[in-house]
Formats: sequence, structure tokens, C-alpha cells
Amino acid sequence: MQKPPRLACLLLRLRLSKAHYECIAGDLFEEFYTRHRSASWFWQQALHALFPRFRRIEHFEPITKGDPHMSFFSDLWQDVRYSIRTFRKQPSFAVVAILALAFGIGINTGIFTLLNAIALRPLPVADAGRVVSVYQSFRGNVGRNTYGSINYFSYPEYLKYRDQNHVFSGLAVSANAPASLGGADARRIEGQIVSCNYFDVLGRIPALGRPFAAEECAKEDAAAVAVLSHAFWTTQFQADPRVIGSTILLNRHPFTVIGIGPEGFAGTGMIPGSYWAPVTMQKVLKPGETMLSDTNTSWLEMLGRLKPVVSLASARADLAVIAGRIDQAYSGRTTTLSLDRATFLGEPEARTAVLAGGAVALAVVGMVLLIACANVANLLLSRAAARQKEIAIRLSAGASRARLVQQLLTESLLIALAGGALGSALTFWSFQSFFRMVVAGLPSDFPPLALNLSPDLRVLAYAVAISALTGILFGLLPALQATRPDLVSALKEEGAGFAGAHISRGWLRNALVVAQVSVCLVLLIAAGLLARGLQAAQTLDPGFSLKGVVTASFDLKQQGYDDAKAQQFHRQLAERVSAVPGVDAVSQSVVAPLEGSSWGTVIDVDGFPAGQSIRFNDVSPGFFPLLGIPIVRGRVFTEAETRQGALVAVASEAAVKHYWPNQNPLGKTFRMGREKIPVEIVGIAKDIRTRDLAHVDTDFFYFPAKLDNQSHMRLLAHTNGNLVATAKLIRDAAHALDANVIVTAKPLEENLELWRAPSRMLALLIAALGFSGLLLASLGIYGVVSYAVAGRIREIGIRMTLGADAGGILSLILTQGMRPVMWGVIIGFAACAAASRFMSVVLYGVSPFDPLTFGGVALFLTCVAMLACYVPARRATKVDPMAALRYE
Amino acid sequence: MSSREYLGEFEQIVLLALLRLGDGAYGVPIRREIQLRAKRDVSVGALYSTLDRLEGKGYVASWFAGPTAERGGRSKRYFRVEPAGLRAIRRSQDALAVMLEGIDLKKV
Repeated sequence: MQKPPRLACLLLRLRLSKAHYECIAGDLFEEFYTRHRSASWFWQQALHALFPRFRRIEHFEPITKGDPHMSFFSDLWQDVRYSIRTFRKQPSFAVVAILALAFGIGINTGIFTLLNAIALRPLPVADAGRVVSVYQSFRGNVGRNTYGSINYFSYPEYLKYRDQNHVFSGLAVSANAPASLGGADARRIEGQIVSCNYFDVLGRIPALGRPFAAEECAKEDAAAVAVLSHAFWTTQFQADPRVIGSTILLNRHPFTVIGIGPEGFAGTGMIPGSYWAPVTMQKVLKPGETMLSDTNTSWLEMLGRLKPVVSLASARADLAVIAGRIDQAYSGRTTTLSLDRATFLGEPEARTAVLAGGAVALAVVGMVLLIACANVANLLLSRAAARQKEIAIRLSAGASRARLVQQLLTESLLIALAGGALGSALTFWSFQSFFRMVVAGLPSDFPPLALNLSPDLRVLAYAVAISALTGILFGLLPALQATRPDLVSALKEEGAGFAGAHISRGWLRNALVVAQVSVCLVLLIAAGLLARGLQAAQTLDPGFSLKGVVTASFDLKQQGYDDAKAQQFHRQLAERVSAVPGVDAVSQSVVAPLEGSSWGTVIDVDGFPAGQSIRFNDVSPGFFPLLGIPIVRGRVFTEAETRQGALVAVASEAAVKHYWPNQNPLGKTFRMGREKIPVEIVGIAKDIRTRDLAHVDTDFFYFPAKLDNQSHMRLLAHTNGNLVATAKLIRDAAHALDANVIVTAKPLEENLELWRAPSRMLALLIAALGFSGLLLASLGIYGVVSYAVAGRIREIGIRMTLGADAGGILSLILTQGMRPVMWGVIIGFAACAAASRFMSVVLYGVSPFDPLTFGGVALFLTCVAMLACYVPARRATKVDPMAALRYE
Repeated sequence: MSSREYLGEFEQIVLLALLRLGDGAYGVPIRREIQLRAKRDVSVGALYSTLDRLEGKGYVASWFAGPTAERGGRSKRYFRVEPAGLRAIRRSQDALAVMLEGIDLKKV
């Protein structure tokens, strides 16, 4: 259930008397809440109350004559019919305008569809409007273990919120728990561990079997049961209903299948889950940690269903009290909760980032739409010039200017809505397959995404709104201009070209060209910079050698390995891999370079505030030579240090420069972690890029591979042979040790793709937009110059009669045509400079002011514009002076 | 004068609903009563315009009272049948009864 529609309430208040509003709205509210009526019921009732004439015939009251609403509608209908008649008479104009707008509106709708699917669409749950996501953020003294995001909750916190709140009919938690599926088809599957009321709170009933029962979450390891997703059940078990009651292996642990999720439901996260299990099975499904009892660990996402009548604001207030109570145990910490209607992307930081990115994307495609608008506005201006006589006649016959503007606006709105309908239809039809194509281009270890890209009411409303806005945007100015002609000269039909109106209309046309060119330039420069950045990324030196290196990771944790067993596994595996033909070096590290993740901790350094956050990698001694990372001073770890997990470190040059400037850091110590363990620096390594291809790692340290991280270790092997074959041999070697372990082995170079793919896609997209913008803009320039030439034929004829040669005429027309283009280039440059800060995020090794790109694009654009001017200008030189003088 | 003397069918239904409900007659129960008994789903707007008309003729009286939370703090508008209303409904019912005399609708 949800709130009554606010707009309907507002309309009631505006239209009804105070007394009527009091009792009618009161009745509607009461019935809405107590009898669980829908929003559409509310609307229906409200409309009946507002407009008696919509009531059934027995209550019909005659409409008074001269009702202003009615004359508006009959006028509108008249205008629509008139517009369609004029379009029929001149179909080429309508077709060109509709196509240009369909393109512009279509891509806008597409981007909005994507944004909607990620961040705006409600979850696929029953009565989604009442389901809210809860996150928390902290201020002050925060020391907290974090898995996923610090905005998540701990299990004891969840229990407090669940039991002490007065606003939710149910509060559930979930956490991602990818697990290793055992059996013949061993592999990693995605899934979630959830509180046992998960399906109840979401209001989704399993398609088969049953949801979790409360006692299955009663205590730790209470019940090894699982609900499988409908999709997983269909693909893995061929939708066999006998699966209920059977056992599957997750992380080598038997789980009884008790239910199959509802069809089409893949959880409440972006990554579709294949299974759900009780949160109390955390030790098995998120092994290696004891999270359930820990009060100060962020790992659970919370979703609650509001009780009827409870508003979001009162829910916020109620939970804040509980948060305050929890804070009492942590002096100097303040917790702020954020409650919002639940979407796939609830986590506040990620949500802000996506919405910001979405806004940029909408701005970019909005610019293309702007170019299209400018073009259609130009077409309308030319058309208005041709229709000047018609308009003048109507004005002199007594039509009001407002009436004429309404007529012209109706025309442009019709065009815009037709364009919007066509563009949106094409988008909805093609977007799914387009998105699948983009996803297929992503690196293989990108998580699969579950996005519902089908249009909903929000997308349709957006498409209609943007179409209407477009129609007004390109229609209003030309309409106002067209209805202000000089009546006398227009009626005389003596060359509208010489009238004063021509001059003012001229500046509007030129302004439109300036806008088009500058927008187009921004897009093309952005695409150019991205392309140059990609080119640079191909040759960018990350500071270490990726050549001949294969990396492999293992799911030892999920397989239930303890640290000692994991260490033994890695030692034996290293021996086996060393024996593989072609392999000349083997090493381990907790993070493989450029794999997209990194580990962090806090250290205390003398002379700096306590709790400096740093990034680190746990490595074996062979790591540095294997990747060719030079040791600038000191030494690397010894084998013995690695075995014991000695308290020594190799610091990066950047870290040394930051913490020990102008000092010899060798032998210096710092204190690590909350336990403040002293660690001594024994060596300095050259700076490299392992976290982010765009930036050198700052404040980076290497530690000897510790015992307690053994189950996370990756294997790195250098080979002279074939990389793919070596990867397969490593997989075989690992399986010889333990057939159940799931191995991901691949050439290290594939990690580069992770960084290049996004900017490549962005470059392609922006280039496509830029070139279509260029096409539209050059059409616009061509139109403007052609129109100017046509209007000046008599003048050109006079000039030629007086002795001007073809070259002179050509340069005259070209100079005038190119002037707005040059202004557009200058404004475009300024806009690019302003946008450079955003661009630098996705540029690798290229300045956002790269002169080659700026110069090249400007030259290219100027040439295209010149061509667009030249064609009509040449026509001007072919004018026969005698014919031009007689031309009327 | 006929409309002053005789009530429309819907007006009769509304007046009878008020009589049935007694003290508890305001918008929501009135509509529920009509829906349950007469099986007619009448919109809020239609009900109030009828009640306004009846009040204008002096057949019913209304007053505001009893705001509740689920009404968003808005008062209920209670209705009561006035003596004139009672007379009008009797008149209409009597007229019907007279017209029905000697006719068995089941046999016609």
C-alpha cells in the first residue's frame, strides 16, 4: 500500500470549496487506508468529484455555452487538422523534421531508460512503494570493519532495528555471498544470504516449495537450507520439481533445497542471485570471518516494509531513536540513517555516483537533441518565410497573434510528438539487444547485470515530456518571429528578403548555427580525446611488465580451507607450476595487479596524525623480479620472512616521499592497524600502477605474505610459452591437488581490458553522437547559406552587373556563412576547457587540453562547414545577372 | 413542483441509507451501505452533490465532527434526516405503494 496520489489531493484542494474538500478528501483518505484502495481508485474518485460532467449520464449537467475550455479544445482540434493538411501538402519538411527529432529524442529516452533501470525503478516486489532501503553513515570516531560498503549494517544492529522499531511490518537484511557450487558442474554462483523473513517482507511467494521459516534463523548454523532462483532452477535442473527436498553442495556444505523463487525474480541487488540461504549460515557461505556476532561490522543491506499509514518521515524519526541508542556504546560517533524508497541501487554513495554519471550522459545526448532542435527550428524559419503571405493575410483578417502562435505551436508540437513517438518506439525495440551487445563487449569477469530495460510509466512520461519540451523549444521562437511581419511589404510580396524582418531573422539563424557548431565541437573533441587516451593506454607503461605473466585465483575460502591448509596448497602448487614447461618464475600476491581491487589498512607514522590510510599488497619475494619492479634501495623480503610473516615492509617511492621526505627511510618503523604493530621498512620499490591504470599508486606498501591471508592468495607465473596453454596447465596442476577447487586462470594482460573497455565504449558512443551531430549541423549550415543565397539573388545579380567576378561573390557568401561557424568553434573551445575536469577521469596519459585533438577536430569541423557553405555559394556564382534582375 | 414533492430514486436510496445508519452516517459508511444493500457503486462526488441538494431542500442537516489520523486529520461530515425529509420519503413511498396496488410484478 502507498500514499494517496499527491497531485490528485492538490487538484481537489484547488477546485473544491473548503467544506467540500474537508469531507471529500477525508472520506477518500479514510477509505484509501482502511479498505486498501489503489491509487487509480483514488484518481477516479477525485476526477468524479472534480468534473461532474464525467459522471454517468444521470448526473449530467449541461455545459454552459462559451465555456473557455471547450473553445480551447475545438480550436486545438481545428489546429491539429489544419497542421496535418499542411504537412500533407509538404511532406518532405515533416519527414525531415520528424526523423531528426526521432533520432535526438530516441537516444535521450535510451539513456533515461538505462538510468531508470539502474537507479529509479522500484524493486520487483509486491507493493514496491511501501518498501524502503535503509543505510547508515557515520561521523566522528569511526573504526569499523567493512565488507562491501561502510553504509551497511551489522547483524546485532539489524536485530535491534528489527525488534525495536514501530514503523515496519517487517525488516529484512541481505548480503551477497558468491559460493562454489559443488558436483559435476563445479563453478562459482552468485547468491545472497538473507534474513528468514526476506520473502515475506518483499511479499514474493516462492513458485514452488516454501520460503524460510523463522526458526531457520534462530541461531547460528540453524538450518542448511536454500531457495533457488527460478532461472537457476530452469537452467541447472531443467525445472525439475523433484529438486525440492534434494541436496546441493555450496562451499562443500550440503544444503537442502526447500523452495524455488518466483519467476523472473533474481533478488534485490544488481547482480542476479542463483540461490538464497539463511543469514545464519554466514560461516559456511561467507567463510573465514565471524560476522554474525560482531556488532561493529558493516556487511548487511536492510530493506523494510512500512506499516500502512506510516510515512517515510516518521519512519526516519523512529529509526533515528534506535540509532542514537546504538551510538551510546561508541563514544564520539554519530550515526545518520538514510531511508529511501527501495531501488536496485540503494547504497547512497554508489547511487550518487550513478546519478551524477547519468546526468552527464543525459547532458551529452541532450546536446545532440539541441542540435536537432536547432535544425528543425531553422527549417521552421524557412517555412515561415515561405508562409509569410498566408500569415499576413490571417493577421489582417483579424486573427489574434496569440491564436496564430497557438496554431504554429500546435504544428511544432505535433512534429515533436511524432518524432518522440517514433524515436522512443525505435529505442524500446532496439535497446535490449543493444545493451546485450555492450555487455558482451565487457571483460569476462565483469559481473552479470540484471536490468529491467522495458519501458515503464516513468520512461513514457519522460519521453512525452521531453518531446513536448522539444516542440516548444524549437517552435516558440520561430512562431513569435513569423507572426510579427511587416504587413504591408509582406502583402505586396515584394521579396521578404529585403524587409527588416529578414535581418532580425538572420541573426536568429546564425545564432542557431553557432549553437550547433559549438555543441558538435564539444562532442567531437571529447570523442577525440578519449580515442587518443585509448591509444595512449595501449602503450602506457604501468611500471611493471605484464608480458608472459599468467595469474590464477582460487576459491580456497569457499572450499573451507584454513590458513595452514591454504599455505600448504600454495606451496605445493608453486612447486608443480614451476615444473610446467616454459614457466621460469612463480610468485604469490594477495592482489593481482590491475585486477580492480585493493586492500587497505591504517598506520601511524611519527609526525603525522594517527590512522593514516594506506593501500598494500601481501607478496612473496618473487613478486618484484617476476613483474620487473625495480627495487630502488634496500632489499626485498627473504623466503624466511615470508614464511614467518615477519614485521617488515617494502614501501613505494611515493609513500616514502610522503611520509619520510628527505630522510633515509630504511630501518624506520611505523605502527600498523588497530593493534599498532611496529613494522620496519627494509626496501623501497619504484612506483607502479596496480590499483588504477590512470594513476600511479600513492601511499603503497608491500608486506610479506602473512599466514592469515593465505586463502586469498593469487598465483603469478611467468612463462616463455603460450599464455593460454600455461593457464590451462596451472588449472590442471591445481585440480591435481584438489579436484573441487574452482580456478580462474588468465593472462595478466587481460586485466588491462578492465580499464580500457569503459573508455572505449564511451569513445565509441560519443564519436557516434558527435558525427551524427556533425551531420545535422552541416545540414543546418547548408540550409542557412542556401536560404541566404536565395534571398539575395537580386543583390548578387546587381553586383555581377556592376562587375563583381565569381571569385568575389564566392568569398562574399563564404565569409558570411563561415562567420557563425567560427564563433561556434570559439565557444566550443571554451566549453571543452570548462568540461576538462570531468574528462580527465577517463583519460589515460593524455592532457584534457591535448592540442592535436583540439586543432585536428576544429580543422575537420571547419572543413565540413566550409563544404556545406561552398555548395550553395557556388550556386550563387552561377547566377545569370539578367535573370536575377528580372527575378521576382 | 413535482420534484419538490417526489424524490428521485437515488435520493430515496440516500435518505434510506441515512435512516439505517442513524448516528454514524457520514460519507464512508453511507457509500458502503449503498454498495452492500443496493449493489450500487456510487462515487464520492455524486454522493455529496445529492446530499447537498437534499440539504438545500431542507430534507437533511449536516455538521462536521470527529477528525481521525487516517483521514489526514480531516473532520467527518455527519448527516441526519430532518422531519421534512422524513415526510418526503413517506410521500414517495406512499405514491409508489398506491401505484403498485393490484399489480403483482412477478406475474406481469
